[in-house]
Amino acid sequence: MEDWRFKPAADLGLTPAQRLRSLQREAGLPGAIGQALWWNAMRLYAAAVHRVRVEGREHLPAEPPFVLVANHASHLDTIVLMTSLTRAQSRRAFPLAAGDTFFDAGLSAAFAAGALNALPVWRSRTRRQEIDALRARLADDRCIFILFPEGTRTRSGEMGAFKPGLGALVAGSEIPVVPAYLDGCWRALPPQRKLPRPLPIAVRFGPALRFADRANDKDGWHAVAAASEAAVRTLGGLAPRGPAPPAAS
Amino acid sequence: MIASRFWDFAGAFAHPVTAVLVGGAVAVIVAASLVIFVLARARKVGPALEKELWLRTFSWALIVPAIVVPVLIGPAWAILAVGALGLLCYQEYARATGLFREPAVSVAVVAGILFLVFAALDHWYGFFVALFPLGVVVIAIASIPQDRPEHYIQRTALGVFAFLLFGVGLGHLGFIANDPLYRPVILMIVFAVAVSDVSAFTTGKLIGGPKLLPATSPNKTISGSLGALAAATVFVSLTAGAIYGDALALWQRALLGLLIGACAQLGDLMLSSIKRDLHIKDMGAVIPGHGGVLDRFNSLLLVSPAVFHYVHYLIGFGEAQPIRLITGS
Repeated sequence: MEDWRFKPAADLGLTPAQRLRSLQREAGLPGAIGQALWWNAMRLYAAAVHRVRVEGREHLPAEPPFVLVANHASHLDTIVLMTSLTRAQSRRAFPLAAGDTFFDAGLSAAFAAGALNALPVWRSRTRRQEIDALRARLADDRCIFILFPEGTRTRSGEMGAFKPGLGALVAGSEIPVVPAYLDGCWRALPPQRKLPRPLPIAVRFGPALRFADRANDKDGWHAVAAASEAAVRTLGGLAPRGPAPPAAS
Repeated sequence: MIASRFWDFAGAFAHPVTAVLVGGAVAVIVAASLVIFVLARARKVGPALEKELWLRTFSWALIVPAIVVPVLIGPAWAILAVGALGLLCYQEYARATGLFREPAVSVAVVAGILFLVFAALDHWYGFFVALFPLGVVVIAIASIPQDRPEHYIQRTALGVFAFLLFGVGLGHLGFIANDPLYRPVILMIVFAVAVSDVSAFTTGKLIGGPKLLPATSPNKTISGSLGALAAATVFVSLTAGAIYGDALALWQRALLGLLIGACAQLGDLMLSSIKRDLHIKDMGAVIPGHGGVLDRFNSLLLVSPAVFHYVHYLIGFGEAQPIRLITGS
């Protein structure tokens, strides 16, 4: 008789507080119930309040893993993207959320982990090993990562530049990046507002990009970010971004 | 009737043994704190060990009320607390074995535990017993519709094992709450397990000698095991005498103590075997200084059904009490 193969939870041995913030967090039955409740409520909300229209769903790969990237204007963005996925897909999806916004306080971290299934990204102090952990998990666990490479919500309504961290997740791998453009989130819930306006929202998915031939180094990451940003801009009918303004001295 | 199952403050300390056991537990924690304080002041222990000792004492100061308070307030709370303990144990077990990645089996196990809790709350022994085979049936069929036969035996066996340990085994501790004497009896069982654990540790450290089962648990010695049996036997002979009087002969009480001492150690060794097989150290990190909930409560899994049926055979549990409180009309 061959041995049984056991695979303990990757986040076994962490305290409850550490688990919430772990990149290796695996939701059990309680997490699955919490996420099902939250995301089914959000499906109703997105359909009823924002009449979300989805275009180009056929560009989503049939099987994970893949990375979903979009422009970032509001807290509705994750909700719109997540509820545009099938239920089977959304069970494998992890929104990457700003650690300092969502994972500092205990209650907020419990919500982000328990209901959103979010993983923390610490914007100003991301360490190499954390990026490597995310990259490995994306491939090994066949996940879907939802990522806003601008790094923050736009404060002006204009789409900002994509940061190269996205590249560190996929450069040199077969994992596709699906660009999406979110239209209407800025008007519905700009960062200055507390509560959303009931305005319509549309999301357009574009053809998946692959970066197997890009080197997994700084140049490769920047190339991945630039190509992904260009794809999102095209979907949104925006002009390509000009050369970066000279850095203020 | 139902209300008094939830709130029975008047009955909390109605039995003198309850008061003695609760007072004893509080006294032990206070004494331990004082000893640590004095030892630290006299610089007999280093700061690392001092911190470790405080952590363990602090954890005990949380665990003891978590057990004692529901038992004191009323039988329904005792049953619900045991059910919650079973669910927590299952969660740790499922995460350690990987069974949590099989939601169909997990839902069946959790449902089985919840039905057992209901049967105990209802005081419906027939349903309680019927759930043992029926729970196994539901777990066995849970993942069949997925048409995924590979690893079927593994996930089903892991589920059945969990249901029998955390649902059925622990459930017997909850079912005891249908007896009017449940407060002293449950506290006696829980504290006898603690006495056994502590005695195994101290006699093992004091006497030393050959190891018990070194591949399973490298720190346990034969002398510690015998010390635990002796301590549990003495503790239970005295306590059960104060609870049941002449209804249990001295040899019957001593046998009960031996039974608890043996099952407590076997439960400990069972969890050690599980952890060795999985190549993990602790089942979790929920209780500071102890590891997971299972690391602390493993002994009760085997002790509860053994004690229940031993006493059930000799005296009975809740014999004259009303049955089917919820489902009956």
